[in-house]
Amino acid sequence: MDLLFQTLLNGLMLGAGYALVAVGLTLVFGTLHVVNFAHGAFFALGGYGVLLLQQMGLPYLAALPLAVLLVAAVGFACEIAIVRRAIYDRGEHGSIIVTFAAGQAIVAAIILVAGPDPMPVASPFAQATTTVFGLFLSGQRLFIAVVSLVVLIGFAAWLKRSVRGQQLLAVAQNARGALYSGIDVPTIRALAFVLGVSAAGLSGALLASIISAFPTMGDANMITAFTVVILGGLGSIPGALLGAMAIGLGNAFFETYVSVSWTPALGWVLVIVVLLLWPQGLMGRAQLHRH
Amino acid sequence: MTDTSSTSSGGRPAAAPGSGAPAGIMLTLGAILLILMIGFGVRSTFILSLAGYTCAFALFALSINLMLGGLGEVPLGQCIFFGVGAYGTAMLTIEAGVPFVAAVPVAMAASAVLAIGIGWLTLRLTGAYFSIVSWGLAGVMMVAAMNLEVTGGPLGLFGFPSLTVGPVDLTDPQSYFFFTAVILLLVLAFLARVRSSRFGHAIESIRQSRHLAQSVGVDVFRERLKMLVLSAPVAALAGALCLPYTQIVTPEVFSVVLTVDALLAVLIGGTGLLFGPVIGTAIFTILPQFLKLDPNVKVLVFSLAIILVMMLAPGGLHQIGRAVMARLTRGEGGR
Repeated sequence: MDLLFQTLLNGLMLGAGYALVAVGLTLVFGTLHVVNFAHGAFFALGGYGVLLLQQMGLPYLAALPLAVLLVAAVGFACEIAIVRRAIYDRGEHGSIIVTFAAGQAIVAAIILVAGPDPMPVASPFAQATTTVFGLFLSGQRLFIAVVSLVVLIGFAAWLKRSVRGQQLLAVAQNARGALYSGIDVPTIRALAFVLGVSAAGLSGALLASIISAFPTMGDANMITAFTVVILGGLGSIPGALLGAMAIGLGNAFFETYVSVSWTPALGWVLVIVVLLLWPQGLMGRAQLHRH
Repeated sequence: MTDTSSTSSGGRPAAAPGSGAPAGIMLTLGAILLILMIGFGVRSTFILSLAGYTCAFALFALSINLMLGGLGEVPLGQCIFFGVGAYGTAMLTIEAGVPFVAAVPVAMAASAVLAIGIGWLTLRLTGAYFSIVSWGLAGVMMVAAMNLEVTGGPLGLFGFPSLTVGPVDLTDPQSYFFFTAVILLLVLAFLARVRSSRFGHAIESIRQSRHLAQSVGVDVFRERLKMLVLSAPVAALAGALCLPYTQIVTPEVFSVVLTVDALLAVLIGGTGLLFGPVIGTAIFTILPQFLKLDPNVKVLVFSLAIILVMMLAPGGLHQIGRAVMARLTRGEGGR
């Protein structure tokens, strides 16, 4: 019975981390109508950003926001150099190839700089554990869950209350209409892209202390994010949260009750199952207006 | 759809039935001459076996292009069939003692059966959804190859008892090159026939407009499935024929690196031309060998090259040549 509750708790904690990656993917899809196949690479970039800053002597809590800024900077550079030139109005086929190649280039660059082997990322919360009602609670997982929730709530509030947020939603719903009403569409698109990949970066930076940093750490997480996003409905932020929890629980239960070595395949299998069972559902909900 | 489709369909009528046959014969003769020149003229065993591998890998690029240039889908998981060809042949020869000649067709048939299953599940999806699911399936295959015993785990399978086809010993570089080159030529000829067939035209109509094709009575799902089932054995053949060169098959065959290589070959060569992927492959298997590129530098350079090609010449490099020619002639007319 304890194992069941423990697994449940682990799953929810895991899900909170997934939610961030998924929200980033949803945001980019919703505003740019592009499935960003480089999303996982930005996740990895976040993990390595923290690692690099730590090696330069910064404490974890200072390295975290700086790593996110780093990812945002790389994301902005990619937006200017590649995304806005090669993706918009190029058709789906082209955007898949370009974002996929960009992701591979980033991963290869990471390997060249940091090497292919996993590297541990230290965190002050890693050793801290508490026991609540006989359940083991890891400090780092609790920290991830709290940060994710705070960021997600803050982001939802920003979308709803701020002018920029409203402009972003307008571009997501109807880019041409937004342009006619005087919204600076290219800027908003760039903003959405940078915000989206920064969320992936933050998530990578947070999770790196649990899974350690390795070049392809983003692949499985991107697939998880994709599953989450489809489960929750593309473009919906509460949907992404719910989907993330469901997938987190699924992963935790599989790991506990079935097999650890096959867990990496679970994300892939889930995305296939979800796509096969609800394909029309995702096609119909490709907007960011349902929250 | 994309820029690619307009350029490729624009270039296609040149190979229409009337003028196509003599051009085809000329191309075939040229190719045979080239094969003989390389096969008998090149002394270096290194270059010969590399040329043989290039022909084998070109088959994989062709398989990718059946999906990319044919259906207009980005098959990120096409390496599944390549891997089934390689692993299937390796398992049959090493563990069951089946001769290479018999193992390859069995592996190809297995890939075709797998393609029916995968296609039935995934071909209702299009665009990013199809790409991500096919990538996902490759991920599953990689995890399976890592964990199963029959695939040799992370170490993979090696130590093939014999790689011979009748009297042809594929471990000899010259025989290997001649064999793969002839197979490549045969597959090209077969694909040229397919392209000009009723099925080929149906596929072309689907790529240009799925809904229009459906409305004039083309069974879109069935034709797409047929295309995948056609492309799978070609990829499997590529996987099997790479074995004499690599001498090993590891779970890495299911990684995206292989897909990146083939995608670049296809994009550089152009998706519209039948032999475009072959030229692309020739450039991009031979070049890195001489530049002594680190595998990661290769991925980095290749990925950036893919982006550049997509930005500058989505129809392949010959498009740049054509654009330059057009600008030159227009420039002269202006003066």
